[in-house]
Amino acid sequence: MNYKTETANGTTKVELSGRFTFGDHSSFRKLIEEIRPHGSDTYVLDVAGVEFIDSAGLGMLLLARDEGEKTNTSVVIRGAQGQVKRMLEVARFDTLFKLED
Amino acid sequence: MTAGKESRTAHSVAIAQSLAQSDIDALLASSSLWDAPDRVSVKSVTGQTPEDFSHNRRFSVCFLPSGVGREWLGSLTRLDCDTFVECSSEIDFADLAPLIPTNGGRSHALSVCMSTRSAYHLPVARKFVTALRHRGLIAEKIAATVEMAVQEAFANSLIHGNLELDTSGHLSMDSFTELGEETKRRLASSKHGARVILLTARRKKNGHIVITVNDQGNGFTPPSDSCSTAVAGRKTTFGRGLPLIKSLCHSVSFSRSGRSIELQFDQDKADLLTTSDIFVSELDGNKDQVPDTDIRNPQNATILIADDTMLSREIIASYLRSDGFTNLVFAKDGEDALDQVKIHNPDLIILDIIMPKLDGYGVCKAIRANPDYAETPIIAQTALEENEGRTRIFDDGATDLILKPLNKAELIARTRIHLENRLLVKQLQAYQERTRSELTMARDMQENLNPTPENYRGTGIDYGLRISATFQMSSELGGDMWGLMPIDEHRLGVYIVDFAGHGLGAALNTFRLHSLIWSDQLHDREPGEYLENLNRHLKGLLPIGQYATMLYGIIDRVESKFTYASAACTSPVLGNSLTGQARYLDGSGVPLGVVRNARYETREVPFTGANFLLLYSDALIETTLDDGQFLSEEKLLSMLRETIVESKSEIDLAAQIADQFMDRAPAQLADDFTIVSLQSTPIPCAI
Repeated sequence: MNYKTETANGTTKVELSGRFTFGDHSSFRKLIEEIRPHGSDTYVLDVAGVEFIDSAGLGMLLLARDEGEKTNTSVVIRGAQGQVKRMLEVARFDTLFKLED
Repeated sequence: MTAGKESRTAHSVAIAQSLAQSDIDALLASSSLWDAPDRVSVKSVTGQTPEDFSHNRRFSVCFLPSGVGREWLGSLTRLDCDTFVECSSEIDFADLAPLIPTNGGRSHALSVCMSTRSAYHLPVARKFVTALRHRGLIAEKIAATVEMAVQEAFANSLIHGNLELDTSGHLSMDSFTELGEETKRRLASSKHGARVILLTARRKKNGHIVITVNDQGNGFTPPSDSCSTAVAGRKTTFGRGLPLIKSLCHSVSFSRSGRSIELQFDQDKADLLTTSDIFVSELDGNKDQVPDTDIRNPQNATILIADDTMLSREIIASYLRSDGFTNLVFAKDGEDALDQVKIHNPDLIILDIIMPKLDGYGVCKAIRANPDYAETPIIAQTALEENEGRTRIFDDGATDLILKPLNKAELIARTRIHLENRLLVKQLQAYQERTRSELTMARDMQENLNPTPENYRGTGIDYGLRISATFQMSSELGGDMWGLMPIDEHRLGVYIVDFAGHGLGAALNTFRLHSLIWSDQLHDREPGEYLENLNRHLKGLLPIGQYATMLYGIIDRVESKFTYASAACTSPVLGNSLTGQARYLDGSGVPLGVVRNARYETREVPFTGANFLLLYSDALIETTLDDGQFLSEEKLLSMLRETIVESKSEIDLAAQIADQFMDRAPAQLADDFTIVSLQSTPIPCAI
């Protein structure tokens, strides 16, 4: 998994790409550490470029949500497609996150 | 095979060159692979990368290097081989041995065995599923589902099984960080990191595909089925795997005290690949060859008459005999009819609808369900008033209908027509069979136009280049070709060609052009002038309306430049081997064979010790991938960049891009696929 971050007007946008699976532990940790100090109101996780996610990847998205809760930051998942969209639906992530197209 | 005292089973083994001979010998001599290694004779072939092994050679097993990397993972789709094993002195296969079952054991259509340390960082589940897809073992439409399930089972076995990591309960960021550190430690330890993970797949008779994932952890007690399959909820972050797997498979079961999980997938047989995939065609052998001598003449045809009343059978038989049909067989009820079909494989069936045990509808359905009899004509007999039945019998697969009471002339006329059709179809099939084998020969010849891995690697080394290439022909013959032309000790010519269309015509054109290229020894001309000359010759040879795209270029190691000319070739990519940054070069120009006096511009770009060059045919950017889209220009550049940045050591760029492409492309490509990379090596050897 690779990512790019961008912060503007209190929103941190993270573009994720590639495969997001259990082996992406350390890159995900780096990502969280990178965006934490931004102090944004909203994290937008743009997953349009993610082609595959497994349950560990879903777990990491939940972790991002927990991080957000600590600082009252809302987390939005944007642009899920194909397999990723299907996984988010199966796991009922619509009840946990704001999902955007 | 007769198991005489001296008889040994011969096996070809593909071996990664980097492996130590002592490790290879130890693995071959152990009983990890075969029950009785002393009864096996081994012929080994080594290769620096999977590119080096011939497409046409079949291997019993492939030894992956210790610490398998992405390039060797690619061997799953590149080699005609069913068993892939990481060879390392640290690994103990224990109760998973022998990996290749001998007599009596269930043989696997694919098995992959590697250490946890290697597997953890690789997209094993994805490549495994791609390999199954390419072998025609799973249908394209269920591939995505299978991949999700295998990924979960694989992650579970690695993390909970082999690494014994506990990820249950609510994870905080701190415990997540701690988990990451612990994962690293355990991967490095030989207790956990060297444990083996084994993935196998086989196809059951009913068409179901069975995939197992086996680990060497402590095992666990599988939760009872009362455990809900609801995946939602957020109590645990990582424990969603099993319910998810269950929701994706036909069935899930455990063995080896929870250290093996078996997933079964149902799939529509009709959706399986039936085409000439290289692996499948080998498996099927000559099974479906059509004997084209059996019904040269309709009168020799075998006709089955299925009717429960003896009188009816006799009447039909006497009508048919009077017209010269003497090869008659009979069935007295529905079940008998099916038995007779199996025994005699008739060329035509005359079927009564109302029969005991199994009626005509049931017989029709049963016959059509078997692909062997899909084309057998069935004439159903029915009474005029059964209007509903007439529609139904066609739905169930009857070819034609004949009204009772039977009219002799009509019966004979219909019988003749259907037998003649049948005869034509059979002859056509036999013809196609012959053409197919000739096509296979032509394919081999065409593949031989391209340089062999040994050849291009060696040539590359002479010029301080690491060259990699992947070529996959479309389902029929194609029009792609590439090659290298050494000019002098510091200049190397390279070309890539794509003839419009594919099939026999395109293939013949590649032969034409190949001989033109190699008969003309003036390769050191400016590329533009070279293409102009080639175009003039080719224009004279090519029928109107046929054309080719081509790029010809010269890498000059002394002047550190790449000069080239392009005849509407795909835009070559020039990039930096260290940063992965790359850009497209201008590929514009008139295709070859269109106008006689076409002009080609010679273009020049710097090409230094830090550069790479990527050439490819349009199949790379014009194949619909699993997301329903083509690989965009931008996406190809980012794929290159990420591949270079993520790799820790020197890689074969073309092979890596091809592997990623194959993961997402349909198993049967509509057009030839060629990709070639030329990467400057850090220290040019020859100059």
